[in-house]
Amino acid sequence: MTGFYHETAFYGSDDDFLAIAVPFVEGGLRDGQPTMIACAQKNTALLRDALGREDAVTYLPGADQYSRPADAIASYRDIFGKHSRQGATQIRTVGDVPHPGYGVPWDWWGRYENAVNQAFAEFPLWGLCPYDTRTTPPEVLADVARTHPYVAAASGEHLPNPGFGNGSPLSNPVADVLEQGSPRVSLVDPTPAAVREAVSAAITGTELTEDNAHDIVYAASEIVTNGLSHGVAPVRFRLWADDSRVVVTATDDGPGPSDPMAGLMPTTATRSAGLGLWILHRTCDYVSMGRDEDGFTVRVSVGGSGHT
Amino acid sequence: MRTSGVTDVVVGLHPNDHLCWPFDDFAEFRARAAEFLVDGLEQGQRACYVAQGDDLEADLVAQPVLAEALRDGRAEVISLESRYGTSATVTPEEQVDAYATATRAAIEDGFAGLRVAADATALVRTPDSLDAFCRYEHLIDRYMTAEPFSAMCAYDRSELPEPAVTRLSTLHPVNNTASAPFRLHATTDGIALDGEVDWVSHDLLSLALESTEPDDGELRVDTTGLRFIDHHGLLALHGYARANEATLVLRSEKSALPRLIAILGLDDVDCVR
Repeated sequence: MTGFYHETAFYGSDDDFLAIAVPFVEGGLRDGQPTMIACAQKNTALLRDALGREDAVTYLPGADQYSRPADAIASYRDIFGKHSRQGATQIRTVGDVPHPGYGVPWDWWGRYENAVNQAFAEFPLWGLCPYDTRTTPPEVLADVARTHPYVAAASGEHLPNPGFGNGSPLSNPVADVLEQGSPRVSLVDPTPAAVREAVSAAITGTELTEDNAHDIVYAASEIVTNGLSHGVAPVRFRLWADDSRVVVTATDDGPGPSDPMAGLMPTTATRSAGLGLWILHRTCDYVSMGRDEDGFTVRVSVGGSGHT
Repeated sequence: MRTSGVTDVVVGLHPNDHLCWPFDDFAEFRARAAEFLVDGLEQGQRACYVAQGDDLEADLVAQPVLAEALRDGRAEVISLESRYGTSATVTPEEQVDAYATATRAAIEDGFAGLRVAADATALVRTPDSLDAFCRYEHLIDRYMTAEPFSAMCAYDRSELPEPAVTRLSTLHPVNNTASAPFRLHATTDGIALDGEVDWVSHDLLSLALESTEPDDGELRVDTTGLRFIDHHGLLALHGYARANEATLVLRSEKSALPRLIAILGLDDVDCVR
C-alpha cells in the first residue's frame, strides 16, 4: 500500500477498543511491518495485556508523542521517514489524539487531524485514530468525522468514511477561561515593539519560567506581526493573566491562512508567515486559530499546571 | 569599555566611542559638537571640528574653552572636503587610513587621542555615496575598538531621507534617538547587535550586514545587548554567514536564542555564552 490511510474508529467500550486495535496491531506484526502504539495510559495498558508480547511493537508514550501537534508531526515525519528509507512498504500506528476528554483543548488537534492528510501523504502509513464515544465531546467527534477518509468498525470492517471532506469548516476554537475576566492589555493596531513592551510589563510578577516568559513575548510579537502583514486591519491585541498562566489573542478582519498546515508544518518560503506561527506552535502550551463573528483570531497560552 | 545604547548627552563618552547624531537644526548640532569636543579636550585628546563652510572657527569661538584651544593648537577646524578627500563619495578604506594617520599624529604630538565632530550630511546624498559611507562607518567603528579615536557623526535630517538617517544610525554603537531599532557595531573580535530586530527592521539588518564581513571563517555576533530578535533576523544572520562561507557564532547569556536556533534546525550555528 502507498500513501496515507488515515482511519478513525468510534468505540463505546474497552472491548470494542480492543476488537478494533488488537487485530490492527497483530496484523502489522504478522507482516513484519513497523508498528507503533502511541496511546494514552489506559489504552496502552489494555493493549499490553491483550497483546501479551513486548517485542516488535514500539510503544511511544502518548503524553509525549502528543504534547503539541507541531511536535507530533515533526517527530512522526522523522520516524516514518526513517522506516521508509529502510525499505518499509507499510507502517502502522495507533494513537490517542488528545481532546477535552483528556483535559486538553481541541482546536489545534482538530487542525492536526486535518493537516496530517497532507503532512503524512508521502509515507506508506496506516494510521488508526480511535475515539472513545464515552468521553469525546460531540464537536470533536464531528471534526474527527470530517478529517478521516476511512473508518474502522468493531466488526473488523475498514470502510470509506462518508462524512470525510464534506467541505464544512472545523469547529470554532473555544475561548480560554481567563478571557472571562477583563484583559490586562488591550491594544489596537500596535507595533510589534509596543506589544512586546506591554506583554513584558504585564507578566512581570507572574510565576512564569524564563522560557515561558520569552515564548509568550515572542508569540505576542509574532501574532500581531502576522495580523499586520497578512491580515485585514484593525488588528486587536489582548492579554489575560493570572499568577501562573498567560493568554494572548490577536484578532483581525481577514479570513486567516488558507493553508490547513499553517502553524503545524514549517514553510520553505522564509518570508511567509508560516514559519513564525509554526515556532509558537512548537514553544507555547496551546495555540488556537479560527474565524468567528469577531474575525480571525490566534490565541496563545503558556504556563500553568494544565489546560483549561 | 565602549558605550553602546541611546543617549541625549554628549559628555562623559570614552576615548573610542562612536556616536551618531542626527539633527534637525544646525545650531543644535554646533552646540552639541562643542560640548563633545570640550569633553575630549578635558580628556587630553586633540579636538577636530569638520563641517562645510568658509569660516568654521566661527562655529566654535563662542565657546571660551574651544576658542583658547583653537588659538593654542589643541583644537582644529577642517573643511569636510579636505578631511574626507571629497565633497561627494568617500573611499572607505582610504578614509580609515586618513583618520588612523591623524590619530597617530595626535599621539606623537602628545595627545591622548583624537576626537572628531563632523557634519557628514554632504557625503551621503546619493545612493552610491550612502553605500560607501555606510561601509566606511563600520570600518572606522572597527578601527575605534582598538585605537583612541572617538567621533560624533552628525547628519542633517531636514536634508536627508529618513531611511538614510536610520540606516546610518544602525551602524553606530551610540545614537541620540530611538529612530534606529537596533545598532550593529564592531567589537574586538566581531560585531555586536543591540536593541530589537523584528519585521520592521529586517531590511535594515540586511543592509547593515552588507557593511560587515566575517573574520577567519566566522561571523561572531555578540547579542548580549539584544532585547529581541525574531526568526527572520536569525535567518538573515545565518544566511549572511553562509553566503560568506562563514560559521555564525552567536554569543548570548539567555537560553532563548539557542532554543530558537534548535527549533529552526540551524545545526551549523555555534551558540556560546
